[in-house]
Amino acid sequence: MKAFLEKERERVKKNQIKNKPLVFMTYMFVLIFIGMFSYLIYFMVKDDTEQVVANTSNKRQDSFDEYVIRGDIVASDGTVLATTNIDEDGKETRYYPYGSLFAHSVGYDRYGSSGIELSEGFNLMRSHVNIVDKVGHDIGSEKNPGDTIVTSLDVNLQQAAADALGDAQGAVVALEASTGRILAMYSNPTFDPNDIDNVWADVHSEAGSSSTVLLNRTTQGLYAPGSTFKVITLMEYIKEHPDYENYYHVCYGSDIFNSVSIRCSNSAAHGELDLAGTLAHSCNTSVANIGCNEINIGELNKFAEQLLYNGELPYDGEYSRSQFKLTADSNYSEIPQTVIGQGDTLITPLHNALIMQAIANGGVMMKPSFVDAIENADGVQMTRYKSKSYGSVIDPEITQDIIPMLQQVVTDGTATQYLGGKPYTVAGKTGTAEYDNSGNCNSWFVGFSNVENPDIVISVVVEDYTTNQTSGTYVASKVFDAYYGNVTE
Amino acid sequence: MRKVYKYGMANLICNISKYLVLVFMALYTIKCYTYFTAKDREKRNNNLNKQIFYIFMIHFLCHIMLFVNMKDTRVVVYYLVEILIAILYIVLFRVFYKNSSKLMTNNVAFLMLIGYTVLLRLSPKLAVRQFILASIGLAVTIFIPFILGKFRNLKNHYILFGILGIFLLLSVFLPVIGKEVNGSRNWINLGFISLQPMEFVKIIFIFFVASSLVKLSTLKELVINAAISAAFMLVLVIEKDFGAVMLFYVVYFSMVYLATSRPIFPILGIVLLVAACALGYMLFKDTLFSHIVVRVHAWQDPFAYQQTEGYQVCESLFAIGTGGFAGTGLGKGMPYLIPVAESDFIFSAICEELGVIFGLALILIYLSSFIAMQNIAMKCKQPFYKYVTFGIAICYILQVFLNIGGAIKFIPSTGVTLPLISYGMSSVFSTLICFAIVQYVYILVSKEADDFEKERERIAYREVSGGGNSNVSGNEGISRERTRKSKEKSNKK
Repeated sequence: MKAFLEKERERVKKNQIKNKPLVFMTYMFVLIFIGMFSYLIYFMVKDDTEQVVANTSNKRQDSFDEYVIRGDIVASDGTVLATTNIDEDGKETRYYPYGSLFAHSVGYDRYGSSGIELSEGFNLMRSHVNIVDKVGHDIGSEKNPGDTIVTSLDVNLQQAAADALGDAQGAVVALEASTGRILAMYSNPTFDPNDIDNVWADVHSEAGSSSTVLLNRTTQGLYAPGSTFKVITLMEYIKEHPDYENYYHVCYGSDIFNSVSIRCSNSAAHGELDLAGTLAHSCNTSVANIGCNEINIGELNKFAEQLLYNGELPYDGEYSRSQFKLTADSNYSEIPQTVIGQGDTLITPLHNALIMQAIANGGVMMKPSFVDAIENADGVQMTRYKSKSYGSVIDPEITQDIIPMLQQVVTDGTATQYLGGKPYTVAGKTGTAEYDNSGNCNSWFVGFSNVENPDIVISVVVEDYTTNQTSGTYVASKVFDAYYGNVTE
Repeated sequence: MRKVYKYGMANLICNISKYLVLVFMALYTIKCYTYFTAKDREKRNNNLNKQIFYIFMIHFLCHIMLFVNMKDTRVVVYYLVEILIAILYIVLFRVFYKNSSKLMTNNVAFLMLIGYTVLLRLSPKLAVRQFILASIGLAVTIFIPFILGKFRNLKNHYILFGILGIFLLLSVFLPVIGKEVNGSRNWINLGFISLQPMEFVKIIFIFFVASSLVKLSTLKELVINAAISAAFMLVLVIEKDFGAVMLFYVVYFSMVYLATSRPIFPILGIVLLVAACALGYMLFKDTLFSHIVVRVHAWQDPFAYQQTEGYQVCESLFAIGTGGFAGTGLGKGMPYLIPVAESDFIFSAICEELGVIFGLALILIYLSSFIAMQNIAMKCKQPFYKYVTFGIAICYILQVFLNIGGAIKFIPSTGVTLPLISYGMSSVFSTLICFAIVQYVYILVSKEADDFEKERERIAYREVSGGGNSNVSGNEGISRERTRKSKEKSNKK
């Protein structure tokens, strides 16, 4: 017996030694499979997966409305801006309580959608109600309520912008200076998204073919920057001349630069000016002088492109690209007009706001954003978005130098009429940009409030200033007033 | 105020079924693993019978969903026929081979039923075809353990295996019957049926390597063996069937490692692979290797090549991501948008409609049958069958890994089928053969253990009757150790 068992033990032992590679390989594959198992779970829970599902090529999105009721869009304080109403037959209609007020920012959800309805269309059709509710809805054959998009929009500011603009065509955009959150975005003429069927039909009829009511002027409207561009010319001067405080120019109301005649507004002679005075009074001859005699045009072009002229904006929605054509090789005669913001240069109000935001924020441009957070239908926060920086586009020292000059525009310059003597401080720049040769012009204001620790950035353009006499500065002052609760008329 | 919008009764049934399937799937998976830890035979059998119940429930609920969503009464017929064949298979195997591994038969039946169900969802035509061919496959392979038992000296015929294997592989280059599919020339068309010879050659290859390794004594023999194996792979490279090359390569080096117990071989294998890839990339970047380069690109960033190379992987990820953990319910998703959803990307189709939880369970079920195979190889004391079982196990699990890993973008996709689930006559047939061979080895091992027990009892009896005193406890048997150990424990108490 012993011999037999001994022999068996020997065999088992031998087999065990032989089995070593076998055991090793088994563990190897178990490990690999644990890796694959974990990877699949990781793929499902990581943030990017929502983006995979949100990919526009994913045709499955079309079927979401079979299972989900489109979620709400709310303002930062929870005021509902868009919701889905269901009647007794189960028919769903999208409803916008504020009608035309948020037409361009919130958008509409048919005809390919627009605005936040478009950019957040996917998230609105996702439902993150808790798993118990979800199973309950599934089993009870109910649709799941979609997630709520909490935007950064502020109803007060939006209303103030719309009221101030009145019937005038134009655009207003207000950003939070340190984060780039969009607080207001209003474009006039506007339309009622509750009535989108008729609006759409009108615009696509022959009579309405020239209508621009669907155009979001804040992001898609291209305007000559006018005098607001002088801020860029001056920053370039400061960059190239550390002793900029010694700048000195005498304005006679008009002058000839590179064989081009440049006139100041109303041909007013500003007399002796330093750099701050040049900006405060928006002196054309002084800036043309800087452009023609003091700065390197190649560098100016580089600086403008660094500020995203001719480039992509860090903005998710639809927008037009701003353009700046002057280069070191351009004809000399183009310089004087271009440096004061005329010529071929074009910019959108949103882009102009971003440049001002960068100045207010120590040179760091923030990505403008609409969405603060996504909540499920029960109000539980699912995702909170952090503000994203685009990067530093201006030397912080230059912003320190230019801000006092921008403030002087308000305290003792072209913006004093509407913004002087307010309980809050403002730094900014006005602009009057001619868009044709018969003297018709648009009125600009770009600037930010609370200069020491900037709160909000506003960019306004009012079209056809000559006829409706509403200036950009006036509109901006009304929005600032609304922000600071300063309602004295 | 809560917004409520109700939609029909059909959805109610479908949604309840969806969640129940997930519950039964989880239970089935758990039973696959508790099988290994079960204390005694009775508990194990109990586990296995429960598994059969879960299989039936999952299959039944899936067909309920299909019936509700496809609104086709033929689903009922399909259901009845499928379940009949599955019962027949499980019962016949148990009757024919008393010692067969019931876990293995359960897994085979389960995976095949899942395969039919998903194929039925994708294309009833394919499902019927697959069903008929697989049923023939089941009927044929049920005899394999019996046949293997008749041919005891297979291990002496390695030259035959080598020649047969290479000849079969080369058959795809024959002018009339050979044909090219998706850039790989790896099919033969026999008029009434199309086959992938590689699927069968891989089994012959495993037999070839095992039989020559058994005889191995000198380095020279190893070199010859390596050269012939390399010839196999070279043919596959020329066919541009790189998934298969990978399969053969890993199987070969694993088997050599097992036979020699020298870690140098797997290390050598990895080094050679890296070198071959680098060299191949440098020399044949635009010709032979372009096929691979495309797939690697698609893997690195499928969304950058969304409309071209990455298309398949993107669609696969869309399906998995949109389906979510619980899935959309069978018949409610859009798995038909995934390219080659019936074979290479069938895992994504399963995840989309039956849920990622189902997919995760499926991964674990595949892994458990791999562990079961390795267990059998471990217990087997005949080197030839030990190597064969091991080779089959590695080949099987690697195939699962390449398929699922490719579908979920864990690795570049290689165009390998998912054993027993993917559509494809060759693949299903060859996997069934593999499982039947492993069943044979299991029977062999069980018989060996029984013989040992008998012999031990005989000697013990003789010694006791002869007045001798033996110390029975403390010896390490080979099989059913657990059963005996627990008996010993209770004896001690």
